Amino acid sequence: MSPSIQEIKEKHAGRFLAMPGVVSVGIGRDPDGKPVIIVGLDGPHPQTQKKLPRVLDDYPVHVEIIGPVKAQ
Amino acid sequence: MNIDITSIRDILKDTSRKLLGRANIVATGIGYKITKGEKTSDLSIVCSVKEKLPASQLSKKDMVPATINGTPTDVLETGPIRAFPARTDRWRPAPGGVSIGHRDITAGTLGCLVKKNGQTFILSNNHVLANSNNAQPGDPILQPGPIDGGKWPNDRIAELHEFVEIVFLAPEPPGDCGVARGVASLLSGIAKIVGSKSRLRAVNIRAVENLVDAAIARPFNEQDVSNEILEIGTIKGLSQGELGMAIKKSGRTTELTTGEIQQVNVTVNVQYGTGLIASFTDQLMAGAMSQGGDSGSAVLDNTDNLVGLLFAGSDTTTIINRIENVFSALGLGL
Repeated sequence: MSPSIQEIKEKHAGRFLAMPGVVSVGIGRDPDGKPVIIVGLDGPHPQTQKKLPRVLDDYPVHVEIIGPVKAQ
Repeated sequence: MNIDITSIRDILKDTSRKLLGRANIVATGIGYKITKGEKTSDLSIVCSVKEKLPASQLSKKDMVPATINGTPTDVLETGPIRAFPARTDRWRPAPGGVSIGHRDITAGTLGCLVKKNGQTFILSNNHVLANSNNAQPGDPILQPGPIDGGKWPNDRIAELHEFVEIVFLAPEPPGDCGVARGVASLLSGIAKIVGSKSRLRAVNIRAVENLVDAAIARPFNEQDVSNEILEIGTIKGLSQGELGMAIKKSGRTTELTTGEIQQVNVTVNVQYGTGLIASFTDQLMAGAMSQGGDSGSAVLDNTDNLVGLLFAGSDTTTIINRIENVFSALGLGL
């Protein structure tokens, strides 16, 4: 059985969060409703954006600039 | 009797200031006179009063005359009239959605009431009620929070009872270019190091991940708190947050806002003040629906089931603890 998107996300989240600018890794949906892994950045980071994979085990990886996340 | 409204308006214009100068009168206007509980067809000058008093308790100058320039008067008891209080005001009883905070913080939001061992507690964030771990059980909780004018001892509403410690990532050593994630503090009872201890490089030690930023405070007096959440009402039950779920919150700063769960299983690094970062996992992420001071807001679904506890956000996102993780960490129920 192929791994679930949750398993894939858990496996790679730590590695992604160690990249400069990465502040979040989660599971969302694309506009067609298909599950995707979403990586959040605190601002533009061209190097990190270049290094992040487009696809992980058949699941698309989307990158969004969400800004720094702060306790409110 | 047939007096037209224009002439009554003129009479009222001339006399309202005088009427409002009398003790007890809080408003004047024009309305149909009510006699023995029934609305009549006669227009009258209505004087609203804080309370209806027998003539014997009123001095002559404070009495409402039976007629003014031939127009009948009516007296209506409304109680004192106040501006609708703001969420940053003092509220007793205090409902969910108003300002609250530990003595040493600025202010956050009173989320909702919860039960533990049959007792009632106020639920909010650790960083609202327990000053981000820098607090002791028994510390005073103020409503409103200090930045909204809450002062000890007059505005204390509760005492800190229990909090889930937030485990922060160790500060990055200077010159490290932010590559290492840092070694997390091992002090917490919930601390869990995943990965091999034999590995030597800090970057390979998986940081301790938090599930919740939560704390409870015990009200000194149960009459001082209310089960209602402002602009929402009472909580119907619990619900698990899912992708695409419509949600709402009621908070100190942005009040009632709505949104949608856009991500689940979120692992996120959150800044606390200057320099401190804590990693949280199994979070819900919604679009922008909060600002500073909304922390601690209860998050509900469309049918008023409790889904989460709001604690952080960015310009475009809101980060929410799952309520099931909050309840299990602190042993809570509704």
